[in-house]
Amino acid sequence: MIQKLILGARRALGLHHPGRNLDVWPDDTFIISYPKSGNTWTRFLIANLAYPDTPANFANINRLTPDPEALSKRELGRMPRPRIIKSHQYFDPRYKRVIYVVRDPRDVALSQFHFQRKRKLFADDYPIEQFVARFVAGQTSPYGSWGENVASWLATRQNRPGFLLLRYEDMLEDAARELAKVAAFLAIPADPERIRNAVNRSAADEMRKMEKTQARLWSSTKDTRQDVPFVREAKAGGWRSGLSDAAVAQLEASWGHLMTYLGYELRFPDKSTNFDSRFVETLLSEPAR
Amino acid sequence: MIYGIKRVFKYMLGRDIAGGTLAVRPDDTFIVSYPRSGNTWTRFLVANLLHPEEPASFANIERLVPDAEAQSSRYMRRIPSPRAIKSHSYFDPRYPRVIYIVRDPRDVVLSYYDFSRKYRQIGDDYPLARYVSDCIQGRLISAGWGTWGENVASWVFARGARPGFLLLRYEDMKARTEEELQRLAFFLGIQLTADRSAEVIALSSAERLRELEKTQGKDWVSTKDKRSDIPFVRTATAGGWRNKLAPEAVAEIEAAWGNIMAQLGYELVTRKAEAEPVFATTAPELGESGG
Repeated sequence: MIQKLILGARRALGLHHPGRNLDVWPDDTFIISYPKSGNTWTRFLIANLAYPDTPANFANINRLTPDPEALSKRELGRMPRPRIIKSHQYFDPRYKRVIYVVRDPRDVALSQFHFQRKRKLFADDYPIEQFVARFVAGQTSPYGSWGENVASWLATRQNRPGFLLLRYEDMLEDAARELAKVAAFLAIPADPERIRNAVNRSAADEMRKMEKTQARLWSSTKDTRQDVPFVREAKAGGWRSGLSDAAVAQLEASWGHLMTYLGYELRFPDKSTNFDSRFVETLLSEPAR
Repeated sequence: MIYGIKRVFKYMLGRDIAGGTLAVRPDDTFIVSYPRSGNTWTRFLVANLLHPEEPASFANIERLVPDAEAQSSRYMRRIPSPRAIKSHSYFDPRYPRVIYIVRDPRDVVLSYYDFSRKYRQIGDDYPLARYVSDCIQGRLISAGWGTWGENVASWVFARGARPGFLLLRYEDMKARTEEELQRLAFFLGIQLTADRSAEVIALSSAERLRELEKTQGKDWVSTKDKRSDIPFVRTATAGGWRNKLAPEAVAEIEAAWGNIMAQLGYELVTRKAEAEPVFATTAPELGESGG
């Protein structure tokens, strides 16, 4: 009861983190992805693109691209509009402008394994197969499983106005090209130099340097193991050496159709055993790329 | 600045509407649909399946199969496990087991139009054509459920053919109630005899619900203080749109949601679908068993 009282008082003063209960403005834009899919990099890219006078770093990123899980309702209400909001949420019909970043779930699983190690959720010797089994079941994140999160957005918004789908792998291949799409989406004049500057300022090496000095200032890294980095490899395909065949098979059996639609080549392409929705194959008649 | 003192006190006392903050239990089963898609009928079927000792009515349905979006957190906490819960929510990953009912959106908007008049959200003179556009654009007062297409697609895509997800079509339930009830019972882990099946269907029939609404409608949370000259239990038929919906309205709906409609086996009349239907028109296989 005491705890309810404290929580109630915090709510009354707007000091709680609203998370999914965020008050949405019609001119909000959301940067959404499943966790560990390049969300932070995208935040830096977009912050550096939209606010070139304030180079993004870990100390100011929550102000430039506010995070409803890390800021209070009061702070979020006072942000200048239009806001560019960071989110990992599954489908929410109130979000009218969405930039959705998707990444190969085999790499996402590997990255989340290391991140949860960093957050001391389990020890270094925790078996990765066991982690992948929980990952597939959606038990490692409050935002649904990878497939649920991605499918909930694609099914409702793909190919509709106000929705921009980016692949992390495409961003790695040519960040400037992908950022130009974002600039068009946000109606920001996209001269090549502005885009180049944003890309350079957001490079993985730059972010690693900043993490070294600012990790304790940022909500997502403070109170975590400092010997495991937040900015990890920033590469695609790490799963090829980091995941066992059994783990890969488990991921592909869950989401083979969705992965194929997104252009992620399967190691075990016999999808007859897959149990993800056949709707994915047929409803989204055009492949995403 | 003080934010909604009243809401905060309600929250502290557990009197806030459960809805999105509902504490979900691992053995909960949710009956989910877009509004006006046969949810109440399914609720009665489930209540009568689970509680042979107590025929469902509008007086006890909130206890037998409570409405998470009408009841308080405290009320929901007091319902013993395993709970069967009614919801209109779009995809929510916390719902462990879901019975999702889908209905032809051309019938849904017609039914929703009458419902909105009953709820005094629109007057009797509100043009149906405008109402259809409102539905498609998500401009309805009840837009909290997303549009029909968003609600349906978010569930069907995210959960699809996975265990713990049973997809029912309202039209199938009308056309072959016994078979669909068997799938429902199988999903709930209930053995159903022919006698019992007939009894459950009779206790949940539109005729019985209409009779119950007449005497209990003024007390039920979903109908009290609403216009009593427009019934909550409407025609309970499929295909009413063919006579009542203008071709332009049909075209507007099919332009917005044609692909998913075709996927679900609803034949388009104003355009060609870009995808083959996933549903056979013959009886589907039995769903995933309970437990």
